[in-house]
Amino acid sequence: MLDPPAIRAAGLRPVWVAGGLVAVVVAGVAGLSLGAVNISAPRVFLEVLDHLPGLSIDSGLSAREADIVWQLRVPRVVLGFLVGGLLAVSGSSFQGVFRNPLADPYLLGAAAGAGLGATLAITGGIDWELGPFDTVPLAAFAGTLLAVLLAYAVSTVGGRDTSPAVLLLAGVAVMTFMTAVQTFVLQREADTIREVYTFILGRLVTAGWSEVRLVLPYAAVSIAALVLLRRRLDVLAVGDDEALSLGMDVTRTRIAVVAFAALATAAAVSVSGLIGFVGLVVPHVVRLLAGSSFRVIVPLSVLFGAAFLVLADLVARLALSPAEIPIGVVTAFFGAPFFVLVLRARRRLV
Amino acid sequence: MIGLRDVSVSFDGRRVVDGVSLDVRDGEWLNIVGPNGAGKTTLLRVLAGLTAFDGAFTIDGRDARSMKRKELARRVALVPQIPQIPPGMSVAHYVLLGRTPHLRPLAGESRADLDAARSALERLDLLAFAERPVTTLSGGERQRVLVARLLAQDAPVALVDEPTTALDVGHQQQVLDLVDELRHDHGLTVIATMHDLTLAAQYGDRVALLDAGRLAATGAAGDVLTEDSLSALYGARVRVLRDGDSLVVVPRR
Amino acid sequence: MKLKTLALAALVTLLPLAACGDDDDSPTVAGSDGDATTTTTAADPDGEVPQAIVSLSPSSTEILFAIGAGDQVIAVDDQSDYPPEAPTTDLSAYEPNVEAIASYEPDLVVSSSSDPALLDGLEALGIEVLVHEAAVEITDVYDQITELGDVTGHADEAQQLAEEMSGAVAEFTTADRDLTAYWELDPTYYSVTSNTFIGKLLGLVGITSIADEAQAEANDYPQLSAEFIVQADPDLIILADTECCQQDAATVAARDGWAGMKAVTNGNVVELSDDIASRWGPRIIELLEILDAATTKAAAA
Repeated sequence: MLDPPAIRAAGLRPVWVAGGLVAVVVAGVAGLSLGAVNISAPRVFLEVLDHLPGLSIDSGLSAREADIVWQLRVPRVVLGFLVGGLLAVSGSSFQGVFRNPLADPYLLGAAAGAGLGATLAITGGIDWELGPFDTVPLAAFAGTLLAVLLAYAVSTVGGRDTSPAVLLLAGVAVMTFMTAVQTFVLQREADTIREVYTFILGRLVTAGWSEVRLVLPYAAVSIAALVLLRRRLDVLAVGDDEALSLGMDVTRTRIAVVAFAALATAAAVSVSGLIGFVGLVVPHVVRLLAGSSFRVIVPLSVLFGAAFLVLADLVARLALSPAEIPIGVVTAFFGAPFFVLVLRARRRLV
Repeated sequence: MIGLRDVSVSFDGRRVVDGVSLDVRDGEWLNIVGPNGAGKTTLLRVLAGLTAFDGAFTIDGRDARSMKRKELARRVALVPQIPQIPPGMSVAHYVLLGRTPHLRPLAGESRADLDAARSALERLDLLAFAERPVTTLSGGERQRVLVARLLAQDAPVALVDEPTTALDVGHQQQVLDLVDELRHDHGLTVIATMHDLTLAAQYGDRVALLDAGRLAATGAAGDVLTEDSLSALYGARVRVLRDGDSLVVVPRR
Repeated sequence: MKLKTLALAALVTLLPLAACGDDDDSPTVAGSDGDATTTTTAADPDGEVPQAIVSLSPSSTEILFAIGAGDQVIAVDDQSDYPPEAPTTDLSAYEPNVEAIASYEPDLVVSSSSDPALLDGLEALGIEVLVHEAAVEITDVYDQITELGDVTGHADEAQQLAEEMSGAVAEFTTADRDLTAYWELDPTYYSVTSNTFIGKLLGLVGITSIADEAQAEANDYPQLSAEFIVQADPDLIILADTECCQQDAATVAARDGWAGMKAVTNGNVVELSDDIASRWGPRIIELLEILDAATTKAAAA
């Protein structure tokens, strides 16, 4: 007689968790072994091990090579994992909470807010801490959150209980406004266009441990929260009315998910700019491979998003080495055909 | 025991439900009937806690409005007329959603929850479909899935909105028989909206007749569904026939 | 704005042009050929030199004043801040407003961009334009100087300036030094190759840009990876982003992994003024002097 295994099909099968972890490890190994500078892979790992507490190993690398590995390559890979995971978990959560398969981490004006924040910081040239590099992340972070807050405020203008459609529309309004302001500012300070453009295309070029430290707490909090909230996304999938009748506080859930997803986006954007496609495509690929429940999609998106971005960054820094390709270009380059494949497969499924 | 006192609902200044007072006893099956636009579904939504209203709504003496969502969901379960089925969701998972009001805030399902879902699937003869996406099932099978979710929710009151829509006569009877069985097995109180007057008469204990938002009459089907009241209310020519114990309402040319 | 320009143009063409004699001999718009910078506009056949010049190019502004044509210049764009006596205005070179330019009633506009919107607009108003695009070769600078000299009636001073400069440049040509440098355009590691104007100036003082390795794959202004820069460990780090992006020797040393580079430890991080690093006028000599001093110091270390 069919029993528990049939019911537990709703959950996340261990084989997929293992798959996700394998993907992360493969991406990490590749990301650390390869780079613009040729350093022998085994020595790279010895060097990494040397930095673990309690271990002291001589990797045989010169001081400069050791510096490259530990100060540049390792944090860049770590940051790639964090940003990839953040974007994918945010995208999958937005897709769930708005019941919209085309949602991405930059909804509700988040991208426009980040762009505007970064533009104001770059053109303002204000020396807040240690130069503009610290003001840009902070400003982008603040801009993202501000935009989402504004979208929420605008959506409640007509009444407190807002439907997802109203919230999305409010987001469009905020995005349009902020983009207009950004364009205006940029026109007047045209010599900073390159810097802003680099931000908008997204980059991990300047990744270092300070960026990792900046992002880590927000990543931990937002990813943990969104993973904890994943089951509610399945309940929301049957529509607001039915979800209410099943005893779920829809408004509070929606606010919580949006808040944490916006935090995740803000954290990612603050250090890496606007990297596109990851948050949109990874959840769909996970869905196609492992199942359509958010109990599966949310946690696996973290793993596969992390692996995907690190691999994409590897291409970005290897393909035209030692020149860099903006990572947003690489993710779009691989993301677009991926997306097409997913769409084709879905039509066969449903 | 459900109690409604002077319940009214207005949309854009129009009274859709107008001063309805009604009691429903435990274990009773009440059918709410009336012409299109009479307010049947709105009244049901009030009972499900989905619509704002004026007046009093009590469950076993307690004010339903004072209850938290989860509490209400543990007492009242809704089977919607047109459910939103997430594509790709399996039958088992869909039925498991019925356990939502019993879960602790961020927790997953307990052993008890899984068992409840499984026995609901078993009872509704759906175990063979457990892993299939709900969207691949036929209309009749889907209706059983909805009832299974209702069962898993384990609430003493079931609100059923137009259970026979889009079903052929065989499946209509199947669903209603099923609900009746469950009612007897589990002591469910059933409140349903029905557009089919004959079925409303054949199943259930009482009928409540709504006329433009107001409660025109309640009582046994034989007393409420008379040719005069129906032709006045529906503006239709009907004959009410007796077939043994039950009534049959037929349109006349 | 475009609509207003068209309306204005229409108005202008409707007015009888009989009074204005100069239509055929001096073309109103000077086209530019490919990468080369200069275009030719003969002086007005009446022998009058322009007295109301508007310059939309900081480099051209510097040249005009250096050849003694400063008092013929009535307005310069908002980025033209040298020499200090240049009449800086709100005019934008990046987003040129034809009306605003026309409001100064110039008889010559010098521009570094061949933006058709600008050129067509000025042509429609019958205003002469001279396009001097960014220099690619060092000789382009001399050509631009002499041409401006011809046009403004300061041909002798221009010739003298050009000769002085080429003489000074010749003294820098050092064949015995070969140092590497990372020229930073912005803090996201955009750099320049030897193919560029900057690259050629670097070559004059014996410096090779490390970005040359990226040349075949990318363009002349590639974005380099941090790893590569650190590995290359150039003798010099030259910052062209000190003003726009607040970079200096301290911020460079603070970057993860950069502290150990020899340019940092030996104090060979050169902080350039953004202007000097990006213009192609008389002050390239100043730039070369700074670079030469830096290379001498680095070579001695």
